[in-house]
Amino acid sequence: MEVGGPGLPPEPGVLVFSMRQALATSKETKEHTMHFAKPTTAHAAASLALASFGLMTAAAVSAKEVTVWAWDPNFNIAIMKDAAARYTAKHPDATFKIVDMSKADLEQKLQTTLASGVTKSLPDIVLVEDYNAQKYLRSFPTSFEPMSGKVDYAGFAKYKVDLMTVNGKVYGLPFDSGVTGMYYRKDLLAKAGFSEKDMENITWDRYIEIGTKVMAVTGKKMLGIDPNDNGLIRVMMQSAGRWYFDKDGKLDIKGNPALKAAMEVQGKLFKSGIVKPVTNWAEYVGAVNKGDVASITTGVWITGAVKSEKSQAGLWAVAPTPSLNVPGAVHASNLGGSSWYVLSGGKEKAMAVDFLNEIFAKDTDFYQSILISRGAVGTLMSSRAGKAYSDADLFFGGAQVWLRFSDWLAKVPSVNYGMFTYEGDAAVSAQLPALNQGVPVDQLLDKIQAQLAAQIK
Amino acid sequence: MRQASRPGYRIFYDINGWAFVSVALLLIGTFMVYPIIQSLWMSFHAGQGTMVRFIGLGNVERLTSDPMFLRALTNTFIFLVVQVPIMIVLALVLASCLNMPNLRFRGLLRTAIFLPCVTSLVAYSVLFKSMFSYDGLVNSVLLQLAIIDQPVPWLTDPFWARVVVIAAITWRWTGYNMIFYLAAMQNVDKSIYEAARIDGISATRRFLSITIPVLKPVILFTTVTSTIGTLQMFDEAMNITGGGPADSTLTLSLYIYNLSFKFVPNFGYAATVSYVIVVLVAILAFFQFYVAREKD
Repeated sequence: MEVGGPGLPPEPGVLVFSMRQALATSKETKEHTMHFAKPTTAHAAASLALASFGLMTAAAVSAKEVTVWAWDPNFNIAIMKDAAARYTAKHPDATFKIVDMSKADLEQKLQTTLASGVTKSLPDIVLVEDYNAQKYLRSFPTSFEPMSGKVDYAGFAKYKVDLMTVNGKVYGLPFDSGVTGMYYRKDLLAKAGFSEKDMENITWDRYIEIGTKVMAVTGKKMLGIDPNDNGLIRVMMQSAGRWYFDKDGKLDIKGNPALKAAMEVQGKLFKSGIVKPVTNWAEYVGAVNKGDVASITTGVWITGAVKSEKSQAGLWAVAPTPSLNVPGAVHASNLGGSSWYVLSGGKEKAMAVDFLNEIFAKDTDFYQSILISRGAVGTLMSSRAGKAYSDADLFFGGAQVWLRFSDWLAKVPSVNYGMFTYEGDAAVSAQLPALNQGVPVDQLLDKIQAQLAAQIK
Repeated sequence: MRQASRPGYRIFYDINGWAFVSVALLLIGTFMVYPIIQSLWMSFHAGQGTMVRFIGLGNVERLTSDPMFLRALTNTFIFLVVQVPIMIVLALVLASCLNMPNLRFRGLLRTAIFLPCVTSLVAYSVLFKSMFSYDGLVNSVLLQLAIIDQPVPWLTDPFWARVVVIAAITWRWTGYNMIFYLAAMQNVDKSIYEAARIDGISATRRFLSITIPVLKPVILFTTVTSTIGTLQMFDEAMNITGGGPADSTLTLSLYIYNLSFKFVPNFGYAATVSYVIVVLVAILAFFQFYVAREKD
């Protein structure tokens, strides 16, 4: 339906999903032209340059170029550039093209390209979030290159290898860990009368007691939560070794004591008034950096963001993740983390596998360097023997935080994330307002189970 | 001789004519017709990513028992029923105010009210999001003026999140509709109003009994386009609230996005949901034309 002549804006909201675009065909076409606009120009310029210098052409043809897609220029991209530099130092014939795009863009591009079956434009290596691993491996079988036999997986954290295994074949190269810890402000806790010892190995119920006291004394909230993000519930659930699905991939909602306890804790947290509601990542981190909240319990990758507020140096400490009051709950969990995958259709896949194996599966020095420069905790267990891991961190008052995190990493309960983490999140999220209104959790679990059952058909 | 040449000429012109339109037809066929048919075909399939199988009308059956789809549908209708009337009435009132002959700074005011329409959907959504965040501008102003004593959880409470989305769309699109009314009002013969004035008819009455009936075709047009627009709303829900909290602002288009990109990719089911939008648009447009038909 065309309205408005040239120059007039389209009718309200008729923008993305009109019928002819239902399959995202034209949207994708547009995106592709947009994304590739730059490289194309670059290629055109390059071929012009090559045409004028005949000698260079020969050199360019013999070099093998490995293309990598990833997100986060300060973390994944920077680390990949480090890794590439290490590899090219020993293998001068290799060159790398590391493409930075946002996580959502990367996932959209990957999913639509895989679905279209035209894999020519895909890279050799792609970064995949752990929660999405099974989804991609099972939705697009044969698109990813199995690496079992080529890589020694015994050295990696077990939970990490499990989530990239399908029918006995291991596909990715485990990268960073999302092992969780509780970061807290020593100064604010001290004001409320709590020492560092008081924060070690506590339960969530104790955490709420402490938080209530902190708020009464200092006026600061204890933590920030984005109601659209179920991260904390997932952290709590995994700390007790459970997930939305059991080991066989069957729904595990009704009668899942960990999920029930996690939701109860979340409800109590909101009810106690110690939560600052935030609506996006910037606010979540901002609450910490501005000193609005006294603690944050999340993946180790937050360290860089916490440390970015230099004025708070020495005020922070790290303690084990609080635990749930259910049998089998430990003081360690995981949130996020991602791994590298090689695409079967890639031109340089042999070199890509060799590169990942040589740097990410063997080079413990590399893990020291990325720990120091980026705060990245890898999942290669032998890397913790390196010097960087035992170094004291002055920002955390001279504590050996990295050693602690790698201790916890070994304790993270292994769960089967399955393919439907985001569907599970959506089903839980939908019941959170009811939870805050005091509806019994058992009733909510029934509804979550019903929605999830309908979603995963 | 003449009779023999006629069919020849006709064939010549036919071929020529078809040759001229062939490029356009080819493009329309490739980029319009083919995707539409392909998506219809796809909506009879289900599965994960490339692992699809034919299931006939299974996706339609799934719609009826999908709580998330039903929530998205309800939300879309809430937005439709609440927002479109507010916006249409507001646009009409604004247009008739701006049409007053003795109004000062008319050009400036018209530009100011139309200006939101030229802003990018994503840009203004992000702006609304930051204005209505917990520590945002709106809460600080309300706190300063002592209207509230606790920040309002604009984006983290299901009710307020809907209010924010409705406020945002109204801000963005009222000026757009107003321009149509303004243009139509300027085409109304002034002598009708003059005659009414001489007969002693009040301004409100003149607005209700002259302006509105004269503007009926334009009002119908804007209602239809606004309805379609609301049914397809995506950018605001995606950028301001992400569909949350608790799916309270999840729209059908956002659900299609989630089915394709956030959840396990099920393009067949996503195509089915997009056909729901097509059917709804058709039904509602037909209904609106039927209600507003000329009664002879």
